[in-house]
Amino acid sequence: MDLKSFKEFSDRAFDFQTAKKNELEKTKSRQVVVYNGRIFSADAQTICLVSTLKQLQKQFYMLDKNNNPVMISDPDDFLRILIEKNQETLNSYHSLFERFKQKGK
Amino acid sequence: MDKGVLLYCFDTKDTRYSDVAKKCISLVARNLKLPVTVVCNTEAKQNLLGVKGIDIVTCVPKQGNKRNYKGEQIDWFNQERFRAYEHSPYEQTLLMDCDFFCFSNELLKYFDSTYDFLCHDKVHDATGSNRILGKNECLLPIVWATVIYFRKTTKVKMIFEMVNYVKNNYKHFSNLYRIKFRNFRNDYAFAIALHQLNGMMPHKEFFAEKMFMIDQNTKVVKFLDNGIVFARDGKINSIEHIDIHVLDKECCYV
Repeated sequence: MDLKSFKEFSDRAFDFQTAKKNELEKTKSRQVVVYNGRIFSADAQTICLVSTLKQLQKQFYMLDKNNNPVMISDPDDFLRILIEKNQETLNSYHSLFERFKQKGK
Repeated sequence: MDKGVLLYCFDTKDTRYSDVAKKCISLVARNLKLPVTVVCNTEAKQNLLGVKGIDIVTCVPKQGNKRNYKGEQIDWFNQERFRAYEHSPYEQTLLMDCDFFCFSNELLKYFDSTYDFLCHDKVHDATGSNRILGKNECLLPIVWATVIYFRKTTKVKMIFEMVNYVKNNYKHFSNLYRIKFRNFRNDYAFAIALHQLNGMMPHKEFFAEKMFMIDQNTKVVKFLDNGIVFARDGKINSIEHIDIHVLDKECCYV
């Protein structure tokens, strides 16, 4: 291995990492949902919280992304929206990730 | 009218922002499908007259400004934005820079929110080099005036009027908040106005996502259907289906 190969490898890794970072940020951005007028992220933490609270209560309060409280009166509907959004965005991230991996080989 | 997009576009002797605005307008039409109102000077108006489906409001900028662009000081008209509340014919408005390209419809969801004023407080440098933000540029955390969602409420009217007050006393406020950047910048004017109106407490209501951005030294080499290819330090990268703020003003000629 010479220095040129190291440089090429490093450049490819930079491109891959940048593309991955961009796609991940895009995924997070697309996970944002507006529900009952408030802003939420369809991320793992929100899904787990809704799922846990809905086992104990028919309706409950949650904080949105700006720390404002909102009443969740139909937890099933909210959870369905969150999971759909989460999986839709992760699916598309996964397809792109696979494409990057192929390119990197 | 109910919902729409408001753009400010002032051509200067150095930059034809109206060419950039044309690109922005076509993407708004395709991805947001909202009516567009453009506030522009007479030079830009000439170039925008042929663009379909937009309303044009002519405005003679009262004060000029200078900005550093690729190592040169160039003319810049950025001091009319505080009039957006008055200029907007819409109940719910997306106020955008004309170099912000909507490659998705993600902003539409905010029209369903109950918030009356939202902007970005975080950016994501799509080049991966994190060169957008400097350090210790101001005592206040910056907010980005690139995209602002607002409803017509008394509170929002007050925000825009406060921005005007900050603009008229910018020297005082830039000293007070120790802003490094000496020329008037809307980002700081809005950050200061929000801070002042929030009882000198940090404003905490923002868009949830980071704003994608590439700096002026990152060159756009190609426009895709719903994205761009850009080059920085000999490295090529692309981004698709996400809105992005592009500071390379020559991007519309590729």
